[in-house]
Amino acid sequence: MLEALSAEALKMRTHKATWFLVWLFPIAFTIIMLISIAVGMAGAGKPEQHSVAQWIDSTTIIWSVPNNAVGRYLISAFVAVLFAGEYGWNTWKLIVPHRRRASLIAAKYALTILLFAFSFALTAALLIALNFADDALTGDTIPAGLSAASLWGAHSKAALSAAGPLLIAVGYASLAAILTRSTIAALVVAIAATSIESIVYSFGPPLALNFPSIVWPLYHLLPGHHIANLAEYIRTGHSLKRAFLDGRVVDLSWTTSLGILVAWAAALYAATFAAFARQDIN
Amino acid sequence: MTDSEAPVLDLAGLSKTYGRRRGGVQAVRDVSLSVGRGEVYGFLGPNGAGKSTTIRMLIGLIAPTSGEARLFGEDLRTRPDVLRRVGSLVDGGNFYPFLSGRRNLEVLAKTQGRGAERIDELLDRVGLARDSKRKVKGYSTGMRQRLGVAAALLGDPDLVILDEPVNGLDVAGIQEMRDLIRGLAVDQGKTVFLSSHLLHEVQQACDRVAIISKGEIVRESSIADLLRQDDGLRIDAAPVEIAEAALASRWPVERDGDALVVRATRAEAPEVVRRLVGAGADLFRLSPEQRNLEEVFLSITREPGDA
Repeated sequence: MLEALSAEALKMRTHKATWFLVWLFPIAFTIIMLISIAVGMAGAGKPEQHSVAQWIDSTTIIWSVPNNAVGRYLISAFVAVLFAGEYGWNTWKLIVPHRRRASLIAAKYALTILLFAFSFALTAALLIALNFADDALTGDTIPAGLSAASLWGAHSKAALSAAGPLLIAVGYASLAAILTRSTIAALVVAIAATSIESIVYSFGPPLALNFPSIVWPLYHLLPGHHIANLAEYIRTGHSLKRAFLDGRVVDLSWTTSLGILVAWAAALYAATFAAFARQDIN
Repeated sequence: MTDSEAPVLDLAGLSKTYGRRRGGVQAVRDVSLSVGRGEVYGFLGPNGAGKSTTIRMLIGLIAPTSGEARLFGEDLRTRPDVLRRVGSLVDGGNFYPFLSGRRNLEVLAKTQGRGAERIDELLDRVGLARDSKRKVKGYSTGMRQRLGVAAALLGDPDLVILDEPVNGLDVAGIQEMRDLIRGLAVDQGKTVFLSSHLLHEVQQACDRVAIISKGEIVRESSIADLLRQDDGLRIDAAPVEIAEAALASRWPVERDGDALVVRATRAEAPEVVRRLVGAGADLFRLSPEQRNLEEVFLSITREPGDA
């Protein structure tokens, strides 16, 4: 398995998709921060005073990428290239005879998760360093009470909240890639799935007034609310309550949401493994 | 049976149907053959005959609908790890276009769980040492083909499966490939299973051949036997219609211009002469006719009514 992972890493480390869809985050956030520092240094305003929470929130923003539809599109695009690219390059024929198919798929999953985890962690570290630099260069005061422990605690919680949507986004795109055998088609299907999920989560409460028999079960079934509910639990220790316009309130325990998300991830990943195991590579 | 006694490759009733059983397309039907250690085995057939589908079933890319494929005595379905002893080249070499030739082999070596020690030697052997750092997307068809051969040999396999290995090669490249294939068997004791439409090359490189047509094996034998079976007599006689009528009731007869080619053995030549004379035909010349593999192949696979 480690050998297959190493082969995947060797293959993808110089690929454009890795630069534009994975290393994009540390590069883009660094550029934005540097511009912000330059603007702060050029301005003559008086130094800003931030609370500890504000200061930390400005560094944990990277972990919200998988919770955001656009962020999930970018993750889906990378997964589509990684999985469906083998069909486009016709290279499954090169590697499938030499390793169990399950191992090849597992290596792709491992690489995806590791790359994004590393990219987000690197971005978070850069944001922390650049925030300190910003304060030092622009004269802002570092808030009292900011500590390594508080930073670690906030980033751990934010990273935990990012895990669910990252896994679901990877699951949609990988299954679509194996079933469609096309990078573009996989991306379109993954974007459609993510968008439907986002629409049902965002517009479910008002839409329930007109289509209660469809929206209510969909809202409970799709991952959107469960991702948000778990994030709310991790952040505040309480469930996310959402009132529908028909008067009903969605208030689920974290165990229910976790169970549904695990079921979604298990189903998506198992379907990907099963589909690839049975697939003829012509 | 020990590993060394078992056939390197043994196919029994291998079939593949695409689509649902009723109305599905049967690409390969009941293919059975056996290849021994150190043999160079040719797999011939016209386009669409089922060669590539059979080869893909041998290397685990396609699941057979029925039948069994055994490699080194092991059932491929239950022991897919046996493919570690197999090197293959299909579709002229498929590689990551954004990586160099060398990096592609490194990826393959890692996938196989091997080191990169043999890569330089193999690149040198297939004549790609100087171009090994260029991206594969800039390679010519022949260069990809040669890189494909290097990839097939990377794991020092006991069985090498080559699907159309000389496609895209120039004359010198074809000669080198033929020498390489023979060298694999003769010098290194490897078994080679190759498909090619260049029958002259197959005739020179292979010990035995199977001919597949419309998904079925229609002939399997050594090259020598195949050519011998199709020996004949070339006859120059007149009137040609009378001569043809006199012989056609006994042997298969083909017209070749003004001459006749009779599928009769050398021992039957006196009887041929007697029949011609008895029918009142004048015999001007009778000579042995040995067809090459291409002619034999065409006679076996040609559709009735083809020119």
